[in-house]
Amino acid sequence: MTTAVSVTHPPVIKHRRDWTRAALTIWSVFVVVFLLIPIGFVVAHSFNGGNSFNIWKEWGGFRWYQRIIDDKPFRDTLINSFKAAIGSTLISLVIGAFAGVAVTRRAGRWTNWFLLVLFLILVTPEIIDGVALLGWFNQYIETPFQSGFLGIRGGMLSLWVGHSLFSSAVVTLIVRARLQGLDESLEEAAADLGATPARAFRQITLPLMSPALVAGGMLSLSFSLDNTIMSSFIAGDASTFPVYLLGTVKSTARPQVASGAVALFVVTLIAAASTIIVLKRMGQSSSEIASNMAAG
Amino acid sequence: MGTVLQASSGARRRLRAPRFSLAIPAMFWYVFFYAIPVAFIVVYSFASKPASGEAGLVRLSGWSFENYSAVWDDTFRQVFKNTMVIAGFGTLLCALISLPVAYFMATKAGPKLKAALLLLVIIPFWMSFFVRTAAWRIVLAPKGWLSNFLLDIGLRDTPIGVLDSKPAVFLAVVYNYLPLMIFPMFVSLERIEPVLREASKDLGAGRVKTFFSVTLPLASPGITAGAILVFIPLAGDFVTATVLGGAKGNMIGRNIYSFVIESQNLPKGAAAAMLLIVMILAMIVIAFTIIKGVQLLLQRNRAVDLGRVG
Repeated sequence: MTTAVSVTHPPVIKHRRDWTRAALTIWSVFVVVFLLIPIGFVVAHSFNGGNSFNIWKEWGGFRWYQRIIDDKPFRDTLINSFKAAIGSTLISLVIGAFAGVAVTRRAGRWTNWFLLVLFLILVTPEIIDGVALLGWFNQYIETPFQSGFLGIRGGMLSLWVGHSLFSSAVVTLIVRARLQGLDESLEEAAADLGATPARAFRQITLPLMSPALVAGGMLSLSFSLDNTIMSSFIAGDASTFPVYLLGTVKSTARPQVASGAVALFVVTLIAAASTIIVLKRMGQSSSEIASNMAAG
Repeated sequence: MGTVLQASSGARRRLRAPRFSLAIPAMFWYVFFYAIPVAFIVVYSFASKPASGEAGLVRLSGWSFENYSAVWDDTFRQVFKNTMVIAGFGTLLCALISLPVAYFMATKAGPKLKAALLLLVIIPFWMSFFVRTAAWRIVLAPKGWLSNFLLDIGLRDTPIGVLDSKPAVFLAVVYNYLPLMIFPMFVSLERIEPVLREASKDLGAGRVKTFFSVTLPLASPGITAGAILVFIPLAGDFVTATVLGGAKGNMIGRNIYSFVIESQNLPKGAAAAMLLIVMILAMIVIAFTIIKGVQLLLQRNRAVDLGRVG
């Protein structure tokens, strides 16, 4: 298309077009670099030999990574972040997978109402969810969300519920987008060949929508790991890394905020890389994967 | 064959649970952990704080507007205004900065570059936003990196003092919310068939006119989605703006947090939360009215008088 057009246009216009293209390229590079620069500084300062995150003193080796192992309260915040992320992601995948199938394959008058609720959940400011759940979990009756359940802390249960609201809505929408692009005939064929609905779901629908679940799971993980505002209301006895950060004073923050952030970043990168490999194996193109992961 | 098929599917349908049965877990979850709790914020905002020693965070009696009048003092009004400015202007800045990037990614970049750029824009999301944003302090501190550099090459005589100022607030906001604006813009720009732009040019429109009367209107759903995705969370955010802006970045969310968590007064926090919701809805309605008004004006100017043409 582009070549055909550039042939028909006089060379002057082609020249001007290249000028716009150059300006857009420079602007985009500038924005991407702007987004990435701080990551470099965080990684660098996690090796700071001084005691302040802000001021570089000297090369300090893995001292602040050692802190993650030695400082138990600090380590617990990182572990809690992982627990919250994994729990809320599992919940979101189960709820979102079923709801996504229902919305596309069993659509009816209820669908519009349901989608409206999903939309409201996606646009509700976190702080509203935080206030709402805090109040709800702390009414007069004693609930598992205060005292814990089966050895799981009340704060952790609250985080699972709180984080799963947004994430499950995102998973539902990604599953919906995936299934909408697929013909229903495979599932119908399975049913006509005598498969029970449960079996057709397990053997046909589930594999078909698995790329959506992988991408949705990845989004849930990263949403939960970085959730600060809602968590600061409901985390209670299960303080996570972002909630810990909220309590640090900016000017005197220690370089362990950087080593903690880098540790979480590396784990997320590994999860993301595995996601991309899995999706490639499933035969998705790189741009499909990118837009899938950006869907949230 | 056809009748057998119909009969069997008919039999299945009669046995089957309601069509939305697979969505029941989600519905249960959203009713009990979203709809009811959020609706209760309204109730809390008119209730009162329990006496010390009393169980729960709210006493559901003694209904009054007291929480609202207690919240609405001079400092809160100042913060309320600050929130509107930061969220409104921050969203506008994000939109203006994102549009060229999204346009480049959607229309100029090849598939490989497109995927790479999308990935590069997502990657920051995988590191703690708080630490990432705080890292700008390393660069921008008066004795920091950029300041020393500018002093060394003689571009400045005094250290830069951008931290804890209004520009720093918007730096933090733009830095954190930009990707949320780029994605929806990119998706809607990518959906526009290149043919439409070519047709517009073939019909004699210049590139600027094509952009403003074909591309931009077709991309408006994505721009709207991006604006909502940035504006609403930003209005409720109380961390981002303060990381670099200090007290200049104080927003309503900070007050809600201090009412609810620090002074253990959930009803007062609920009242502030209601005011936040009202502010968000009001600003969205105002923004849509302005946009619709401008569109109507433009359409009137652009309309072709068919009678005269004939």
